[in-house]
Amino acid sequence: MAKSAYQNRIELVQGTLDMLVLKTLQWGEQHGYGISQAIRVSSNEVLQVETGSLYPALHRLERAGWVSAEWKKSDANQRAKFYKITMLGKKHLANDYERWGKMVATIEAIMSAKESAL
Amino acid sequence: MSWLQRLFARRRMERDLDKEIQFHVDSQVSDKVQSGISEIEARRLTRLEFGGTEKIKEDCRQSRGTMWLETLLQDVRYGVRQLRKSPGFTSIAILSLTLGIGANTAIFTLVNALLLRPLPVEKPSELFLFGDGQAQGSTSSIPEESTRLFSYPFFHDLRQKATSFSGIAAVDSSQSATKASIGGGAYQTAHVNLVSGSYFSVLGVPAFLGRTIGESDDGADGSGPVAVASYSWFQRQFNGDPSALGKTIRIQSHDYTLVGVARPGFYGYTVGQSTDLWIPLSMEKAFSRPGSDGLGSKFFQSLYLIGRLKPGVTATRASAETNVLFHQILRSYLGPQPSRQHLDELAHASVELNPGGRGVSFLRYAFSVPLKILMAIVAVVLLIACANIANMLLARGVARTREVAMRIALGASRSRIVLQLLTESLLLAFLGAVAGVALAWKASAVLLSMATPGPNPIPLNLTPDLPVLGFTLAATMITALLFGLLPAFRAAGLEFVPALKDGRGSSSSSTRGALARSLIVGQIALSVILLVVAGLFVRSLINLSNIETGFDKQNVLIFSLDSSTANLPHGTSDEIRSVQLQEQIEDRVQDIPGVKADGFAFFTFNQGGWTDQVLFQGIPRTQSNDGQVLFNITGKGYFSTMGIQLVEGRLFTAQDTQTSNKVAIINETMARRFFPNGSPIGHRFGIGETPDHPGEKEVIGVVKDAKYGSLTEDKLMAAYFPCTQNPGFYGNFAVRYVPGENQQEIISRTRRAIAEVNPNILVNNVDSLEEQVYGSIATQSLVARLSSFFGVIAVFLGCIGIYGLLSYSVARRTSEFGVRLALGARSHMLLWMILRECLLLLVLGLALGVPVALSSTRILKSQLYELSPLDPTAIAIAIAAVSVMTIAAAWLPARRATKIDPMQALRAE
Repeated sequence: MAKSAYQNRIELVQGTLDMLVLKTLQWGEQHGYGISQAIRVSSNEVLQVETGSLYPALHRLERAGWVSAEWKKSDANQRAKFYKITMLGKKHLANDYERWGKMVATIEAIMSAKESAL
Repeated sequence: MSWLQRLFARRRMERDLDKEIQFHVDSQVSDKVQSGISEIEARRLTRLEFGGTEKIKEDCRQSRGTMWLETLLQDVRYGVRQLRKSPGFTSIAILSLTLGIGANTAIFTLVNALLLRPLPVEKPSELFLFGDGQAQGSTSSIPEESTRLFSYPFFHDLRQKATSFSGIAAVDSSQSATKASIGGGAYQTAHVNLVSGSYFSVLGVPAFLGRTIGESDDGADGSGPVAVASYSWFQRQFNGDPSALGKTIRIQSHDYTLVGVARPGFYGYTVGQSTDLWIPLSMEKAFSRPGSDGLGSKFFQSLYLIGRLKPGVTATRASAETNVLFHQILRSYLGPQPSRQHLDELAHASVELNPGGRGVSFLRYAFSVPLKILMAIVAVVLLIACANIANMLLARGVARTREVAMRIALGASRSRIVLQLLTESLLLAFLGAVAGVALAWKASAVLLSMATPGPNPIPLNLTPDLPVLGFTLAATMITALLFGLLPAFRAAGLEFVPALKDGRGSSSSSTRGALARSLIVGQIALSVILLVVAGLFVRSLINLSNIETGFDKQNVLIFSLDSSTANLPHGTSDEIRSVQLQEQIEDRVQDIPGVKADGFAFFTFNQGGWTDQVLFQGIPRTQSNDGQVLFNITGKGYFSTMGIQLVEGRLFTAQDTQTSNKVAIINETMARRFFPNGSPIGHRFGIGETPDHPGEKEVIGVVKDAKYGSLTEDKLMAAYFPCTQNPGFYGNFAVRYVPGENQQEIISRTRRAIAEVNPNILVNNVDSLEEQVYGSIATQSLVARLSSFFGVIAVFLGCIGIYGLLSYSVARRTSEFGVRLALGARSHMLLWMILRECLLLLVLGLALGVPVALSSTRILKSQLYELSPLDPTAIAIAIAAVSVMTIAAAWLPARRATKIDPMQALRAE
């Protein structure tokens, strides 16, 4: 089945997809396929964004006003829908990133604690 | 983007979504091709990695916003297409919903109009009625219990002293159907009500035109010859022309100036009686009413009082204050040295304050229990209709398994499928509701006229209003959920892979069968309950119509005459002239060929009455004779007209004149209670607890007992006095004709004879005595007819369900039956095999329904006449009817199974 191809990859942690998408868009506007490729490449092929989650997420972000969209010609000279992060989206990303950092630190603190300290 | 724009941009967004996904697929494929994979293989891999594009698109649509309206419109369009595909199912479903929702709406319209709706007055919740309003007319006895009617002096005294109310209004408890003429035109019937000057201001009913009656109109006797018209009367008579104000209206023999028109929609304080004209109570003397003693009298109690509570005052406080004042004021009316007995009576008297925002209504009193019963019955009918439609939907669900599985495979979510199926159910329910409301609009008026037969329809506004429409909307939604929810879940919840493979949904058919069967068991149970109820009402009605009335109701016409425009002398010594007029009418009508007998009477059957106690000279009061006696005043021919037989003594004759010895005829019950061992003839009695004229009346005859007020009354003591000795014009004229005579001919000849005697005496209406008797049990008759009708509908719906279920199972098992027949099974064995299934359902249904019926019919006890709520006949008939109909419904598909040709059935497989 299709799933077996991703055995070595990590499934995305719930709620982090929005953050990754917004981060990717900070480098510049991009279409859906480009975003998924970018995440895959910049994670050294570890993270695979499923299209089934990516597109609903993009539409959700668009509705929330964190990204805006425009139809443009792609590199391959095809018309594609390009997404761009908005001011609101940047603020949201900063927020998300901060929360993420705190969570990672907290989890790390718990996981690395010595037995005696518990 | 607003949802409206989004709706219009829908097509474009769908296209964009397609393109966006397509771009992704194309890019992925071309990347794969670049890395050296063949294009075909690249496409295959991409499709695999991608999963269902429809699912992705659906998720995108959802995350873009709920888009409920878009989805709804889509579902409705799809639903309409689906419903049109199966017109048979759709029409049966809509028809049963129309009937079910329509019946519920119709009954609720009546419930709302009679029991719930407040009057169109200001802040109805502040209004309180003194007493319960369940009396009409007048009484002169000293209050000794919960008081319902009040005198005009009491009204004035209470108003001055009470502090809990911002205002108190008085209105005559009985409205008079009398004659009025506009600007000298012909007399027409008008309903006139006497009201206090505070009436309109306390109720908070403004004038639509001109002014309402005010305090200045309700001063000294005769000080306010003004009238206020109801809006509908004003429209009828003047077509809404404002120049009508200031016109002179002659009511009876007195002139009034029309000063205003009340707000539209206000028909007076009594629901179910609509007032045409209001006149001030100060005009009471100029306005002749039967039994009127004049409002000045402190114990002539004929008014309803309505108070408006001051803000912040509780009903409890107002009630306490009212009762204190009530005793104070009445005590002062008894004079300086009241009798011990009067004081004693007064000590037991009280005034109960009741919420008065809904007005008073006798229909409310008479119909509240029957209406509640009918409401329950129609609710059960709707429930049965729901079960039926649910069953049909389950069957459709099986037929649509492929469709649903296909949509799920294409990426539709379960919730989406359920919502779509529910939309279809809602669509059905709404179509049924629209037709149902239209049906109810007409039906509720028909029901009302069936319940209250008579020449004049009850004026009750039955146009569907907001509460009725709200009720229908709620009923519709609940109905749709009831019949749609289960089949929708079932349809969406099935495993779609096997369903796609075999296309018939075999995996779910057995659970569907169990569900369908339990629905049918429920239907049978509910039908048998309804039929038991219907049977009880019908049997009770039969008992009622078999009651011996004591008079011969056949071939008698009752003419209701109005002498108010004839200017007859009332309350003067010349009053005997009106009796002479009556005698002339009696004589003339007697001469009409075909007329056997005729006579005037104060009352005929079911028209109210005049009661008091009597005291016989030399006879002590005992437990048995210490009660109210019903009095009637009749012409000489009354007894032979009614067919009331003489037992002893003689009837009234021409010798009983105004100046001769005062005589009375009494009934057997009265004779027995006062003279258990001897004859009452020649004994004398007086009227009243302590008669003003002791021994005034001499008993000259004893007649058989009869029913006077209602068929169900106990034996009453009754006494008759001759018209000549109790002058006054009594409006009921009874005429007995020879059986087989043309009734219309008798009516027109009698009308002519009356007009010849005095053209100013008007015939209000003509009724047959038989109609009067049936009219008195019209409510019971209506309930019996309606419950039977709904019982039959319930059974019929149940039969459709059973027929459908068995037809379906026979069709599915065609090949099995073919094999059985080929192997030598006899057709009657097959028949039994199928019928057995239905008998099981029947037995289960009865086992469920009969005990419920047995334990719940007790609440009907007060509505049944001389019939046990556990009447075995009614129960047996109900069981038999349900059984026969169920088996008949099963017989048709079972017969079809036996007609299967084995060869054809096997080939079909």
